Amino acid sequence: MLPPQSPGPFERPEQLAEALREQGVAPEELANLVPAVHRLSEWQAPRPSSADTQRLLVQLATALPALSPVRQAIRAHRQRQGAGVRWLLATARIQVSLFGPAFWLVSALVTLLGAGVVLSKVLPDQGLLLRASGPFLAYLGTSIAFRGTTARALECELVCPPSPVQLALARLVVVLGYDVALGLALSLALWVGGTEQVAALMLSWFMPLLLVAGLALALSLRLSIQVAASLAYGGWLAALAMDANVNLPLLRLTPATDALLGGIGLALLAVALLRLPTDMPRLLPSP
Amino acid sequence: MQERSDELLIAAVLAGDQVAFATLVTRHHAPLLGYLYRLVGGDRPLAEDLVQETLLHVLRQRTYQADRPFKPWLYTIATNLARDYFKSAAVRQRGRSGEEEEEALLQMSDSAPGPEERALAAEQGGEVRAALAHLSEDYRVVVVLRFYQGFSLQEIAQTLQIPLGTVKSRLSVGVHRLHAVLAPAQEGVR
Repeated sequence: MLPPQSPGPFERPEQLAEALREQGVAPEELANLVPAVHRLSEWQAPRPSSADTQRLLVQLATALPALSPVRQAIRAHRQRQGAGVRWLLATARIQVSLFGPAFWLVSALVTLLGAGVVLSKVLPDQGLLLRASGPFLAYLGTSIAFRGTTARALECELVCPPSPVQLALARLVVVLGYDVALGLALSLALWVGGTEQVAALMLSWFMPLLLVAGLALALSLRLSIQVAASLAYGGWLAALAMDANVNLPLLRLTPATDALLGGIGLALLAVALLRLPTDMPRLLPSP
Repeated sequence: MQERSDELLIAAVLAGDQVAFATLVTRHHAPLLGYLYRLVGGDRPLAEDLVQETLLHVLRQRTYQADRPFKPWLYTIATNLARDYFKSAAVRQRGRSGEEEEEALLQMSDSAPGPEERALAAEQGGEVRAALAHLSEDYRVVVVLRFYQGFSLQEIAQTLQIPLGTVKSRLSVGVHRLHAVLAPAQEGVR
């Protein structure tokens, strides 16, 4: 028996001429080319019967991902929520409950204090307090957001549907998002207060914050988050003290070095996130 | 009831939905078989093997990105598998006889069908099949995608991951070469 035939997409010569025109064939060539191309429909491909398709389905069935109904439901739920950013923001919104009122209030107060000191011009080096207070927010945020081991919640985090990396990203979105919002409020306050070089001051506030956050998260792969955050912030305060007391041009903190420190902070954040899946289970208490 | 798009179906398939899988395979089986059948010069068993291999890649690779159209991605896999096959076949042929790759492909596609299919091909579209077999692989792929599968120029560019201008130029060369082979017979008929 002859196999059934499949129809072509351009059954009429006019459709074919339109297709040729679309691909750039000159109008004077159309009359020549259309009949030749029309002849392509003479060679028909076989159409598979429904039995052929059934056979193929049976052959492929073994490769079909076998997921439990629970996993399927979780995936379906995620797809409904939409991929990427929307899902990350939804996870971040859930993670907000992790941060108690103390985090929000202390962060805002520290920022307010920084704004007040700069505006009152009490200190000769206006950037110094911002360089110390910005990273304090990172210390506070990371030590609260990533306290899974001490909160005895790490086991739950490791088995929950979002992966540890997704959780870490969502929490970073909360911490850094809030810090950015505070930074914007701070820069607005400084600008309204008539402070000069607001951009340079904001760099000296936000870039060390990124550095301390990145360093704390990277160190937390080997140490507890409290120790890691304390080491990162303590190290930064020590560097500030050196900067204030040792007059070495190479160690001077300028907007350019601030930007460099921010870049290093971002790189450390990326490394920590990449290493997280392999290093996190190691943090579980040994039986 | 409105049919679910390919993109929704493949997302469901990758989550283990068997009904979506059956729908997707049923939808694409015939067009994909037709594409590969013409690409390999009318060898149905080989085309069927390639269809199966393509769909296995779809299930195993899991490289599908939700924001990407499914059809060009599917045909990218199919085309790459056919190309891999061409290369291996050409290497084997070259190892034996040292002939050019294109000749090896022609031999491959000409020798594969059985006597019954050959007789059938001689009656139905044998000339067209030979004309397509004379095109080099790059031109044959775009011609088949355009005139048999009905792909838009943009879809061909996405499938082959080449610029739109390259698609147009390959189609232009392919069509002119087909005309050179098929036109004399056509004029004879007139």
